[in-house]
Amino acid sequence: MNSHHRWLLDQLPQWERDGLLTPEAVRTLRERHAVDDSQPGVAQIVMGALGALLIGTGLIAVIGFNWDDFSRPVRLLFAFLPLLVAQLFSFRTLQRGDASPAWVRETAALLQALTGGACIALVSQIYNLGGEWPDFLFWWMLLSLPLVWVLRSSSVAIFYLVCIAIWSVDRIERGAPWHGSPMIYPLLLLGLLPFWPGWPPKRKLSVSVRWAMTLSAIVGLCSAAIFASERGSNFFGYNEHSFFWLWTLTGAALALFPLNQAAIMEPTRRKPQVVLGCLWLLGYGIAMTFRDTTRYIMEGSSFAMHLPWCWGLLALLVVFAVVALIQKRWAVLAISSLALLPLAASPLVKAEGGYYNSTLSWFATLQLAGIGITLIVLEFAGKKGAPRLGAALLSGLLIARMADSHFSLLAKGIAFIAVGVAFLAFNILMSRLRRSKQLPAS
Amino acid sequence: MKSLPILVFALAALAQWAAPLSQIWTHEQVLAKGTLVRLKCRAPDPYDPLRGRFLAVWPEQTDAPVPDGAKIDRGSQVFFTLTPGADGLSTITSISTTPPGTGIWLRARAGYVYDKKVNIEWPFERFYINEKLAPEADKWFAQNIRGDQGIVAEVRVLNGRAVLADLSLDGKSFREILKERVK
Repeated sequence: MNSHHRWLLDQLPQWERDGLLTPEAVRTLRERHAVDDSQPGVAQIVMGALGALLIGTGLIAVIGFNWDDFSRPVRLLFAFLPLLVAQLFSFRTLQRGDASPAWVRETAALLQALTGGACIALVSQIYNLGGEWPDFLFWWMLLSLPLVWVLRSSSVAIFYLVCIAIWSVDRIERGAPWHGSPMIYPLLLLGLLPFWPGWPPKRKLSVSVRWAMTLSAIVGLCSAAIFASERGSNFFGYNEHSFFWLWTLTGAALALFPLNQAAIMEPTRRKPQVVLGCLWLLGYGIAMTFRDTTRYIMEGSSFAMHLPWCWGLLALLVVFAVVALIQKRWAVLAISSLALLPLAASPLVKAEGGYYNSTLSWFATLQLAGIGITLIVLEFAGKKGAPRLGAALLSGLLIARMADSHFSLLAKGIAFIAVGVAFLAFNILMSRLRRSKQLPAS
Repeated sequence: MKSLPILVFALAALAQWAAPLSQIWTHEQVLAKGTLVRLKCRAPDPYDPLRGRFLAVWPEQTDAPVPDGAKIDRGSQVFFTLTPGADGLSTITSISTTPPGTGIWLRARAGYVYDKKVNIEWPFERFYINEKLAPEADKWFAQNIRGDQGIVAEVRVLNGRAVLADLSLDGKSFREILKERVK
């Protein structure tokens, strides 16, 4: 966003000279679109992080060589000296406060995190300490977390998010205690939110941190769902089906995650939790329209209802849904409602002799159609909708239903062409509507 | 300059020192004052991306009987009593859920429990080696693993904590053997 603001600020003097803008308008625009230099640019982060990364990984590689010709105290000196230098560099950066450029903060934080990791690695190498590398990663990331808070480092935050996701996947192990499992992932994530101290956050998270946070949350929470399913089942249970539904509840919780008004007004592409949450929900919704999947979905969801993790997710969803309702986030609410369909339809879906009737399939088809129409209508009603997504959903639904039908290839082909033409026509219509809204009436 | 960020930073910096220093202190104590225990083991040669080459040390004894009436769950803390045999090699002779008052004992985590036996998760498993010596260690390992003597892990034990001090073959230090072979 900063680059857009910079471009705008660069243009203002020329526009003023050309008489396009009054000095007052220029001043107003300067104030409204001021560039926030405290947020590092992508190139700065990349260059600073790359330098720190090279030094840090170089140190780790040197340590990996194992200098057993040297005595233990000398080797320990190798471990602590780079850490001390990095800490002094970070302290100086912190001391200078806002006078330190953003990329220096990033470099200092990342360097300290890496030298800290190198130090633990060398100590555990010298004393032949056991433990797998994810255990090592766990302690490393916890020791690095405060650097995110005090130096407001995006690169260490991303490092932390990647580490907690990897650790969670590694800890999906049947029989492990809950406190050493992915079920503590939410607590690990809360440790980061949102670069404490500084609550409520004064600055927005950068898009790269948002994506890292969303992807990490998806991996971590989905790992927790698998662990919770396995923990609650015997070896021959339906856990492999139940975690799909838990993933769907997680997707709905992500999509509905409470936002402030400014964030709601941002473009959807800057909200990865909404993009990825909705994509999963729509994919799950389309899968529900196939009759063959009914059995797996119903068995999975009824099994999941015995799990405390599932009840926790449902409680969270209720809270998030109420907030979304108050904020009138109709489009997201409509899509998220798909997650609850197996639960709502369960009294009507009958199983006889291992076969299920097609009630869920029909309900899913109707609900998806309703969502598609809602997304389009919202836009035309002057509210925040997603008409193209709605049209794409309706097209996808038609294609899925046709593919699953017993119609001839000719009929299917004609239907596909008709859907394609309608989709393109709608796209053109939307483009024209948008253009007419942007152009002032002459 | 705000004091809270500085305080948090100081605590973080201290923690970065305290974590490895506490490990150093504990393990130095064990190395200096611990009893030497010798365990027959196997030692294949994997690689850790962060800490370099190491020999995975697997003592030959992999399980021990659960005492009557004791309830041991996977992952719970248990205490193994080690007793040296006539050949100088130690074996686990008893397990308890509380620290034994006497003898040489090790604190460890219980693995799978089956057939009234508990799988042992030894508290040491890696012996890091110099990258230059690692190829020679591979050859040495292949030549000696099938011998009757076997590779012996020399472990220092103090108050239930163990530090793997060295590996040996026929009473000779593994590092010395390798250095002689590389010359």
